[in-house]
Amino acid sequence: MKRTWEQTCFIAVFLAPALLLFTVFVAIPGARALLYSLQKWDGLSEPKWVGFSNFVALFRDDLFRIALGHNLFLTVTAGSATILLALFFAAVLHRRVRGSAVFRVAFFFPNVIASVAVALLWLLLYSTTDFGVLNGFLAWMKETVGWPAVSLPIPFTGKPYLVYSVVPMLVWTATGFYMVLFLAAMEGIPESFYEVAELEGVSPFGQFWHITLPLIREVVVVGVVFLVIGSLKLFEAVWIMDNEWPSKETHVMATLLYQKVFSEYNVGYGSAVAVLMFVLVFVATLATLRFSRREALEY
Amino acid sequence: MKLYSAILRTGIAVGVVLPLAVIFLRWDGAVRPRPPGDDPWRRVELAVFEGGYGIAWHQKTAAEYTAAHAEERAIVNVWGEPRMAEKVKPRILRGDPPSLIMDNRLPLWLMISTGKLLPFDGALDRPAYGSDVPWRDLFLPGTLDTYTSGGKVYAIPTSFGAWACWYDARQFREHGWSVPRTWYEFETLCRQIDAAGIAPIAYQGKYPYYAWFTYISLLQRCGGLALINRINAMEPGAFSDPVALKAAGMLQDLARRYFQRGSLAMSHTESQLQFVNNKAAMIFCGVWLENEQRDTIRPGFELCCFNVPAVEGGKGNPRLFNGLGTEYVFMPTEGRNPDVAADFTRYMVSLEKGPDMGASIGVISPLRGGCPPSAVSPALQSVLHMLDASMVDGTPGIFNVRLAELLLEWQQQVMIPSLAGLLHGTLTPEEFARRLDNGIAHARADPDIIIPEFKPYDPQAFGEPL
Repeated sequence: MKRTWEQTCFIAVFLAPALLLFTVFVAIPGARALLYSLQKWDGLSEPKWVGFSNFVALFRDDLFRIALGHNLFLTVTAGSATILLALFFAAVLHRRVRGSAVFRVAFFFPNVIASVAVALLWLLLYSTTDFGVLNGFLAWMKETVGWPAVSLPIPFTGKPYLVYSVVPMLVWTATGFYMVLFLAAMEGIPESFYEVAELEGVSPFGQFWHITLPLIREVVVVGVVFLVIGSLKLFEAVWIMDNEWPSKETHVMATLLYQKVFSEYNVGYGSAVAVLMFVLVFVATLATLRFSRREALEY
Repeated sequence: MKLYSAILRTGIAVGVVLPLAVIFLRWDGAVRPRPPGDDPWRRVELAVFEGGYGIAWHQKTAAEYTAAHAEERAIVNVWGEPRMAEKVKPRILRGDPPSLIMDNRLPLWLMISTGKLLPFDGALDRPAYGSDVPWRDLFLPGTLDTYTSGGKVYAIPTSFGAWACWYDARQFREHGWSVPRTWYEFETLCRQIDAAGIAPIAYQGKYPYYAWFTYISLLQRCGGLALINRINAMEPGAFSDPVALKAAGMLQDLARRYFQRGSLAMSHTESQLQFVNNKAAMIFCGVWLENEQRDTIRPGFELCCFNVPAVEGGKGNPRLFNGLGTEYVFMPTEGRNPDVAADFTRYMVSLEKGPDMGASIGVISPLRGGCPPSAVSPALQSVLHMLDASMVDGTPGIFNVRLAELLLEWQQQVMIPSLAGLLHGTLTPEEFARRLDNGIAHARADPDIIIPEFKPYDPQAFGEPL
């Protein structure tokens, strides 16, 4: 059907503000970041055109490879744990367990807390001082049952361990959101499918595997895309947990970017990291969507 | 209708995209400063990093100066902010900075090398407030050197910082512990403290930078000022010198045996809290410790400090200490009324204001005699004792290493992670030193890094062998 002139005007009027804002606050800064990535600039003196040497330096730099490795590690570990737990909780709540409304709120709660507050909360949880809940619990365990047989307190947020300590925090924060996402999709599945499966004697796991999962596949794919994007752009968790001073053992791409630009005043290199982050997020999103493409099931 | 659609699309393209494209291509990132206008007042804006010292004293001093210079129509306004550097950076970029800035987290060397700062030499050659002596001659030796380039001084320290080991004199008295003079005595003391069920040393493990100053002190104790000179001169292999390796090994050993358990994951406030709560008996820190912990120090806690002990067989004079000017104030080139700004700085850092500054915010003046012991707390008095004890022929025995301020990338990517590695035990002293040396070699090879001339210390003048 062909659009009328009025319809076109209507669309244009509604699109224009968003387009303008996107252009001013996303497209132009993005284009300028691309420009900076091709320059050597300290933020104060005149920029020098250096072509792709920032990118060459980036690929030769151990630090960038390590930071990228940390991002990938967090994407795989925290990402898969989040998806699996969210699916599990959503499936359990979908089966109408007693108190499911309370659980739904409880699981979603961490998602409404600001990420900086979450990081500070976990810093206290991991603390090696008397405030450290986890170390306090381990000390109590050691005293009562003689386990764990390690020297306490464990410096969970010490630089060598920090990347691993971030994983539970990310999982705790994100699981509720994905659980609600998946649960909403599950609510849309007709109850009759499960009734038939019950009559056929299919186990609860079989029902989940053969009915629920195939029918919410598209939502799960969207969830995975969100997680990949979020993990590659991760910043606050590491920045706060490492007291705003990340180093080789703890850097992720976004903290490296920040440190290069705002601590070392190497704007060109930092912008090259930003450009590469954009490319990686874009490629990872495309790849996730491409590999999970399958004909949607209609019901 | 097709024609209308085509016109509409073209209109949107031309009306939205073209102006933005023009802005993008023509805008150089700078916003032009406001014209000064016809302001009859000679206004100076001082932007202060609002940390532990606050800004009340600076505001009071500015009000005094403004009242005293009303006839000259000079006005000094002070504002502070914990994230000051973030607020001031865009103003420097757009050519409208405050007249004076006090925040060491800005890249001062970069600003000096790009001509963004004005020197204070005119004011330094004038007599100091409350004295006939040129202002320059009153500064403690070395405190003006940190940001001196081409013989010009680009930043003025408003306080004096010293690195020391802090303890609670009451706790020491109760346990019968005494202040150690040698490293052997220090280690013996650590074992005694450990045996009493108290952690010997609290450490700000989340910020390995703190250990840098202890390491520098140990370098001097082991290798004397001659070794400090080699490091300041960025001599290849200076950190890998066997004497420097010994210092790194001693620091690593200290961390492994005597640092409080879990301290490697503690922030500065967490570890300092452990110390003021007597859960750890000592802590290496700068003179700001008392001020930073003033709300948590309990009555009866007798905060005192002692100098880093002498190392047996070391070349260094153990009375010297790692000291430097801190809380630097500097004048951006494009700031307004630089003459008033420099004069106000001369007033703020003066013999007249030194005692008031010491009494009000617990800061030691960087001027000789600028801080009488009666003006400061017992904790700062112990720093002044350390300063007095370091005197050699009337000259305070202060030394410093300039690399961290000079080489920002080396500091962030080499020095701090290497120190963390050394203290966590993931690097040997040899690996640690090799990383520092390789990082220095890399920095020296970068043509864009400006390395100013360096005034070496005279070891013999400070009673050390050459």
